[in-house]
Amino acid sequence: MEQRTNSPYPRIDRPTLAIIGVLLVLSCVLFFASDRDHDWRYYQAAFEEEVAQKFGEERAAAVTTGLQQIWVADLGRADRCITCHQATSWKGFENADEPFRTHPVEPLQGHPVEKFGCTSCHGGQGWAVDVIEAHGEIAHWEEPLLSRSLGEDYSLSGNKGALIQMNCNSCHRYDRETKGADAINLAKRLVDEKGCRACHVINNRGGRIGPDLTRVGEKAPEQYDYSRLSGQKTAFAWHVAHFKNPKAVSTDSTMPNFGFNTEQAQALAMLVLSWKLSHIPAAYLAGAPRTDVPTPEQAAEEERMRTGPGAWFVETGCATCHSIQVYGVEAPAQIGPDLSNAVEDVQSRFGRTIDDFLREPTGTMSVVLSRQIILTPEQKAIAVQKLREAFAVYQKQQAEKER
Amino acid sequence: MAQQPPEAPGVRSRRFWSLRPRSDRDAGDAITSNFLLHAMPAKVSNASMAWTYSFWLGTITAALFLLLVLSGLPLLFLYVPSVERAYQSVKDIEYVVSFGKWLRAVHRVAAHGMVIAVVFHLARVFFTGAYKNGVGRNQHREWNWVIGVVLLLLTLFLSFTGYLLPWDQLAFWAVTVGTNIASAIPWVGPSVRELLIGGREIEQATLIRFYVLHIVVLPGAVAALFGYHMWRVRKDGGLARADREEQLETPRTVPPTPTKTYTLLGVARGTAPTVTAKTLIAADTTVNAVPDLVRRALIATLGTIALISILAVFIASPLEEPANPLITPNPAKAPWYFLWLQEIVTDTTIHLGSFTINGAFIGGVILPGLLIGVLTLWPWLDRSPREATGEWFHPARRTQNLVFIVVMVAILLLTYIGMEMRGPYWEFFWPWETWPSLPSRI
Repeated sequence: MEQRTNSPYPRIDRPTLAIIGVLLVLSCVLFFASDRDHDWRYYQAAFEEEVAQKFGEERAAAVTTGLQQIWVADLGRADRCITCHQATSWKGFENADEPFRTHPVEPLQGHPVEKFGCTSCHGGQGWAVDVIEAHGEIAHWEEPLLSRSLGEDYSLSGNKGALIQMNCNSCHRYDRETKGADAINLAKRLVDEKGCRACHVINNRGGRIGPDLTRVGEKAPEQYDYSRLSGQKTAFAWHVAHFKNPKAVSTDSTMPNFGFNTEQAQALAMLVLSWKLSHIPAAYLAGAPRTDVPTPEQAAEEERMRTGPGAWFVETGCATCHSIQVYGVEAPAQIGPDLSNAVEDVQSRFGRTIDDFLREPTGTMSVVLSRQIILTPEQKAIAVQKLREAFAVYQKQQAEKER
Repeated sequence: MAQQPPEAPGVRSRRFWSLRPRSDRDAGDAITSNFLLHAMPAKVSNASMAWTYSFWLGTITAALFLLLVLSGLPLLFLYVPSVERAYQSVKDIEYVVSFGKWLRAVHRVAAHGMVIAVVFHLARVFFTGAYKNGVGRNQHREWNWVIGVVLLLLTLFLSFTGYLLPWDQLAFWAVTVGTNIASAIPWVGPSVRELLIGGREIEQATLIRFYVLHIVVLPGAVAALFGYHMWRVRKDGGLARADREEQLETPRTVPPTPTKTYTLLGVARGTAPTVTAKTLIAADTTVNAVPDLVRRALIATLGTIALISILAVFIASPLEEPANPLITPNPAKAPWYFLWLQEIVTDTTIHLGSFTINGAFIGGVILPGLLIGVLTLWPWLDRSPREATGEWFHPARRTQNLVFIVVMVAILLLTYIGMEMRGPYWEFFWPWETWPSLPSRI
């Protein structure tokens, strides 16, 4: 046999190889340990203990262990929340602290968990099984858990747990009133009362002066201008600030300041953020009309104004913002001044005659007359004539009053 | 049943051996034609074994490739290449599949590691002039260099195709930036982009193309070329370092090597003629491949596996929001190894009044094309003498080494700027400046 020549480095190489062997074993230990290290293991053990204390060992042994999930194929959601929140369907934990509290029965009656899962109402990241990730309080997850504590972070002035109502409105967006969604209901009433539709398309109906709001909740947080906003840079905070004072956030906005208080502004922010393009299967919206239907009273009122002496103003669209008291026409959004005395009012406000003002309007009216109500010179002449007629009636009424 | 006595004395049949040699010659032939026994030379010079010569970067690269194949296999069972399900399947791998998070991290860390290792390997070969031919006959190291350059490009493309698969914002926009750079090639650019992404939008067609490229075509190409790369190393007489040894060694009288036996080869029985060794195979300058070379190869391979495996426990793989073609993240960045190109594209985009000279052509096509071209042809352009083969920073190659270093440092610097100093709107930020915080929805 040939004589073997030995490595010049055996003193280094053999121990090195041995160390690497140790490292390989260590790496196995590490990744096994890291794979077992999940919050849910701790919570499941804790829950078993809770059950043992409350109901005895026997029932504790029956507690399901391991990863649990609710898979809702229709919504593409795999919600693993119940892996930790094991008490949701147990009786007897109604007053316990989270994560071991029984879920209130009432909302589940209309929204069975097999059909809705958890995250479609609560938000959060259903895929995850560790607290922070599952509650969605991490970067790159845009649907955080809409919890009471998040509401506290926003210092909601009303119900601190109201943020969850945004998700109610994904399916209930065409409802006038949704049971339990007080903030959203308040905001919907405000939309009606303030006549937002005068300028905005909402649910495919409304004016074109402001942007279409039907899917405004879809707008990415990066697409807002936060330069005039102090504090939190979130779409929600932007909307709250904007509702309180539109011009302070968006200087060239023509939106009037409605003087909303904090609760109203927050409710409206929730409402607009809930207006998203959501791919909800038809079965989840069964029976609901896919548009906002005016109430019978609203319809009757509109019909009355449309056929009365002020019909021209209603048809042309002036009556969306301006009331014409003398004809009994009441604008849904009282944004502009009453038109009954526009002839003298324009003169005193702008120092111009009504003909001149309509020919070359300024301010909000220039926006309205160039985008929403586009009139030919002939139509403008009719408008002036109609306004003069109204003014004549007004003067007559004033004279009668004085007498 | 009585065991058939083997005809060749000293050869015993084994249960799991397919071969039943009928004679000494049969047994010898089996050995001479056995690939595994000849993947390595019988002996290897001490100098080419040294850690500080090659840093074993080729072996490390190969180990990373092996690890990528091994960690990729289970991922194949778990990942769904459809735009509806890809993101969800990666979420599942991250959160609930046993060892899924670690597997994905191993795959990702190894992939980035392979890009780094391949580049370092190329740099090592350049600095040592190892693409030059030494004293051996029929050496064609220049071709192995060319294959190496192709393997580098394949590695980058493998990584790039894998980048898209999670179908999140990071993936989608990195691939958008990357393929947009490709479309700046004159005349054929848009067609190349269309061919690559299977249409004009990054969509399902892109995903399936990248997927098939990533799991079948490119790994297959790498495996085949890697095989040839290794074969050429043996064919060209091992590492260039060995050539240098042979060239510099002054002839000296060595004691006759102890006899070799050729019994097993079936050449002769018993002790065979004495072979007088030249210096290269002299006992004091060489070691046996088995076990010394094998041990070192094991250290490099297993060491790489251990390191990546441990790193993967601590380095989490990113997964951003689901891909959304309507929302561009700010800033949108190419994968890090293409960031130097993106940086050059920005820097060569010149606005003159209302005119814009798009830098994508210079930064995305001309410059990388020129670099790759010159790199490929370098063995033919390098006029340094033979003595510069297999020596770190040989004085005869000082200028070219300096140029290479300058180019590499420039690329690294631009990559660093792209990675760390480009914030929202691709604006420049010094490392001590904080980026403006990005808004969130709620």
